[in-house]
Amino acid sequence: MHMLLDARAAGGMGARSDRGRCSGPARGSTLSDMRSPDQLLAARLAAGDERALTEAFDALASAVHTAAVRVLGQTATAQDVVQDVFVELWRRPQRYDPALGSLRTYLIVSARHRAYDVLRSELRRMGREARHHRLTPGHHQDSPDEKVADALTASTVREALRTLPAEQRQVVEMAYFGGLSYREVARTVGISEGTAKSRIRLALGKLEILLDRQMLESS
Amino acid sequence: MSSSAPPPSGLRERVVVAARAVRPAGRAVPEPAPITAVEAFSRAADALNGLLSALADDQWETVALRGLDAYGLVAHLTGVEDDVRAALEGDPGVADIDHVAATRSQPARTPEGTRVAWRTAVDATLTHLAATDDLDQVVAVHRIRLPLRSLLVARAFELWAHENDIRAAIGMPRRDPDPSTLTLMTTLATRLLPFGVARLGNGQAPVDLHLVLTGDGGGTWDLPLGDRGAPAPALRDVPEVTIVAEAVDFCRLVANRLRPADLPTHLGGSVVHVPHILAGAAALALD
Repeated sequence: MHMLLDARAAGGMGARSDRGRCSGPARGSTLSDMRSPDQLLAARLAAGDERALTEAFDALASAVHTAAVRVLGQTATAQDVVQDVFVELWRRPQRYDPALGSLRTYLIVSARHRAYDVLRSELRRMGREARHHRLTPGHHQDSPDEKVADALTASTVREALRTLPAEQRQVVEMAYFGGLSYREVARTVGISEGTAKSRIRLALGKLEILLDRQMLESS
Repeated sequence: MSSSAPPPSGLRERVVVAARAVRPAGRAVPEPAPITAVEAFSRAADALNGLLSALADDQWETVALRGLDAYGLVAHLTGVEDDVRAALEGDPGVADIDHVAATRSQPARTPEGTRVAWRTAVDATLTHLAATDDLDQVVAVHRIRLPLRSLLVARAFELWAHENDIRAAIGMPRRDPDPSTLTLMTTLATRLLPFGVARLGNGQAPVDLHLVLTGDGGGTWDLPLGDRGAPAPALRDVPEVTIVAEAVDFCRLVANRLRPADLPTHLGGSVVHVPHILAGAAALALD
């Protein structure tokens, strides 16, 4: 041990960074030469550098939001998806592997997956509500905001549903809007239960592809 | 539908608030299992012991550091160990002696004899530590006064540095500490950094350091450096510098095993202060 220190040093002067000041991009030297900007950003995120999060947001939030909006429309839900994507990046930065692609692509794909998850649950919710409304004469009235948000989401979903082949649209509508089980769908359509399941899965897969294509075409 | 949909204002702030709720800033993930300073010292000793046990006879004679071969280096460590234990037992005689001069004795010049003598000294220290509850007690040895827990991490630094001295001398690859030990090492190094910078001389202009150490043992720290005795108005516009470096490289710097100019970094802000800060880190000489 060569150091010459005394006990004052033990108390510790430095504080773990908990400030959100966002400096400009750091100037490169040897470390940046060895790493791509995404690798560096990922390493900083893993190190708890909050500025890396705000830098990532400033650079990529627009693309992430655009991806969410293309699936969900200009809704509060799309904003929630953006928030979830960046918070998840902060919570588990190690899930992003720079060797597999850019951070931009990773976040956009994450946003799309989350948006599709929202769509799926929205399909189920719409189906439940449709059934509920049919069964309940004096049902609850949504607020104007809720109506607008729901209408935007519902319109996106219905638009995508319309492009499905008739037999696939039929089983999805039966399962999600009609509230039928796989067995009931199978019996109604006159197909086996296995066929009904696989047809619904196929339809949902196509729904994703269709929405994906929509997004690509408008980008 | 437009091709671009910028996020609404306010979303950035929402994201930051939500992010802080799930993970505090400054802490690295994944977080390694926490260990005590005693455990860090013990692990460093085990690693060095493992290397020494595997050395061939001729490798013991390879010069590893400042003219010392493995025999000399390990005998030096045995002397350090004896002095640290003496300090732990309350001997004031070891508080202010020079640590190199006090540990030059090489009674055994056989591989096994040298290794066993050192390992026995380490085990004696560990036995003493096992009976000690107070890791906050200040220990004075070789002109160092540190709380015991900090001293033990400094000892882990020392053993790691010398283990790699021997490895380098015989052409073996460097060994990096495990993440838990490395975390304690970077925590100590960053706590001491303001003192290392201060040691370089008075009158250093104040500068705020945003230090990001990446990889195992990493984290993020905001450290006020330089002379803070200036009047308040002068501190209002303190320049800030960002240094991003690998945690293990930073440890090599503060262990005097990497020159400041050779530390791979990513810099931002008032980079004019960087050489002085890195020189201060190297001045800690945690070897």
